Amino acid sequence: MISNKELQIAYGLAIILLVVGVLSYAVCPAKTPDQPVRLMFKCVAGKVLFDHNTHTAESGYGISCTGCHHNLEEGETEPQACGECHELESQDEDMPSRSDAFHTQCIDCHKEAEAGPEKCELCHVM
Amino acid sequence: MADNNVADNKKFIVSHAPFWHDGSRISLRNYNIALAALPAILLGIIYYGMPAVGVISLSISSAIIWEFVFCRVAKRSVTIGDGSAAIIGMLFGMLLPATAPWWLVIIGTFVAVVIGKQIYGGIGANPFNPVVVAIAIVMISWKDIFDFNEALMNYDLDFVMVYPLAALKHLGVSAVDSFSMGDLLMGKQSGGIGSTFGLGLIAGGIYLIIRGIIRWEISLSFLAGIFIAALIFNMTDSARYAGPVFHLFAGYTLIGAFFLATEDSSSPVNFIPMLIYGAGAGFLTVLIRNIGVYIDGVIFAILIMNLVSPLLDKIRPKAIGKVA
Repeated sequence: MISNKELQIAYGLAIILLVVGVLSYAVCPAKTPDQPVRLMFKCVAGKVLFDHNTHTAESGYGISCTGCHHNLEEGETEPQACGECHELESQDEDMPSRSDAFHTQCIDCHKEAEAGPEKCELCHVM
Repeated sequence: MADNNVADNKKFIVSHAPFWHDGSRISLRNYNIALAALPAILLGIIYYGMPAVGVISLSISSAIIWEFVFCRVAKRSVTIGDGSAAIIGMLFGMLLPATAPWWLVIIGTFVAVVIGKQIYGGIGANPFNPVVVAIAIVMISWKDIFDFNEALMNYDLDFVMVYPLAALKHLGVSAVDSFSMGDLLMGKQSGGIGSTFGLGLIAGGIYLIIRGIIRWEISLSFLAGIFIAALIFNMTDSARYAGPVFHLFAGYTLIGAFFLATEDSSSPVNFIPMLIYGAGAGFLTVLIRNIGVYIDGVIFAILIMNLVSPLLDKIRPKAIGKVA
């Protein structure tokens, strides 16, 4: 036996929360910030979680944009995403593929700074 | 047929109808569960903002709507008034990351309400916890969405934003040192919207135990199972296996102990069977976390123990009134 009051509560809840839910999804979708906080690189050897914020923030490693985004010209403030030039697979000798570019950049810098992981499994997780 | 000898024996007297109903209803139980879950949900909303509101709201409403639609299609009386569908939706939403897409929420509540509950005959007839069935299916189907590191990568909150169990699995015990147990308990960890605020979940669980809505035997034996199993692993090799307190406060442990494992129709009803059920689920959770491939084992552990729950109830003395 279901009382009318219970049914009314359920109908009311369903309708109100449906409106709230649809509005939340439509009006305030999860935003992608202009400057990434963390990035997840996906590849066959296991995903890599890259903490962009820790690398750039003053309280972190404080690396300047040009430290990694090497093609930034004087006065330019908005670096391109790595993947815009470095494609997944590259036949072009002057343009390393994405995995080569990341491997060179990350590992060299970690070695140089004697900080950060250098072994495969410390970045790549399955 | 009146038999004076039997009637003299006071033990066998059962008064005839009408009986007096104390006024409690199934809906009241479910309203209480919603109340108990509220602190954990609120903290999730404070941390993750409007996207979390969207996931929880859509999850509750779509679960109610699926139940309504199914009842109509199956020509059954509409049962949404008992609040069970709303609770299924609420718990399902609490386990999701705040960035879960709308279609995942709607598919998940369909699986929970229709496949997890209604096709078995509705409330009280489901062999598995509907929420756990749904989470298991969507988690296996779309595992990137349940990778909390990836799902929450745009959030920058004031605590370590790496999913604790993922850190343990991928980087080993040394990674656990970056989490303080107090932070984990206070909800300062990444994870599902309503599954990270340990203290809130414990408070809600204690409230439900005092109101007699969930059984302490299941909750406590589940936590004890996790603690003991994790302690055994930790004592055999503390360099490879994290300590028991970490396992208690990380991942889905506490929401599992107080809100998932305790679901009525998929858990045993007698004292000893309840203890075995809870402890078994706890043990399996740690086994899956420590030597399995999955990051968190709570969901699969509860599903497996749901499966053996009818067998556990065979242990004597038999439960009064329970068929099969």
